[in-house]
Amino acid sequence: MIKKNEVLLTIPCLPEYVGVARLAVSGVASRMNFSIDEIEDIKVSISEACTNVIQHAYEHTPTENEIIDIKISITNDNLDIVVKDYGMGFDISVLGSPEQKEKSKEKLGLGLGLTFIENLMDNTNFQSEIGKGTTIQMAKTSPSLSH
Amino acid sequence: MITEFSVDIEEKHSIPTINVHGEIDIYTCGDLRKAFSKTTEKETASFILNLTHIQYIDSTGLGTIAHAAQEIQQKNGHVYVICTKPQINKIFEVSGLLTKNISLFENEEQAIEKIGDQQ
Repeated sequence: MIKKNEVLLTIPCLPEYVGVARLAVSGVASRMNFSIDEIEDIKVSISEACTNVIQHAYEHTPTENEIIDIKISITNDNLDIVVKDYGMGFDISVLGSPEQKEKSKEKLGLGLGLTFIENLMDNTNFQSEIGKGTTIQMAKTSPSLSH
Repeated sequence: MITEFSVDIEEKHSIPTINVHGEIDIYTCGDLRKAFSKTTEKETASFILNLTHIQYIDSTGLGTIAHAAQEIQQKNGHVYVICTKPQINKIFEVSGLLTKNISLFENEEQAIEKIGDQQ
């Protein structure tokens, strides 16, 4: 039987709330059969996604008027996380390009946020529409419980 | 639980030690950057970065460390990172930062020994 549970969280697009998203996702993930290391991977991934929004989704520095919508769902052994912003959006074909890495460096980043997410999660998907925003979806399957 | 973030600079060895507590992310990396600037503007460019007591780090924290390392590179400076948590070591490895003038040590003694070798 498919059992699906969802947790919805909306946070202000501000640095001090990234830790809140991390705490929420680790709370959900710890209800599943993930190891401590895997939970850490998930925490890093959601933080990278939220950090990306704060650093890149808006031309201006985001204020409390901008928000990040987070949906965490559990379907059987699968943890699915969607991080959605309503910023300016971008052309996803530039991902991983030297120009994008350069832009990231200007903001004192490493251009590694998405690389981390791709490395640490099982499945990732990026969607973006210019003027409407970006959605990052990521999933990780927990080892099955032995019955 | 989120442990309160703090950073302090200790002068007990031939090079300064920066001790960090708490979680290093986009919110706290500004304070870390300030501690790095305080240290790197001095004559001795190298420093020990003690991450034994941090609970978390992501690419923003690594970016901050990488920029400090880059700044001190011209003075032949090196960042000696002390870290025991496998998860944090893994983040360093995924980042590819360890090929530069940043290296990881399991404890202070190991780092001090290495510093002794290089001086």
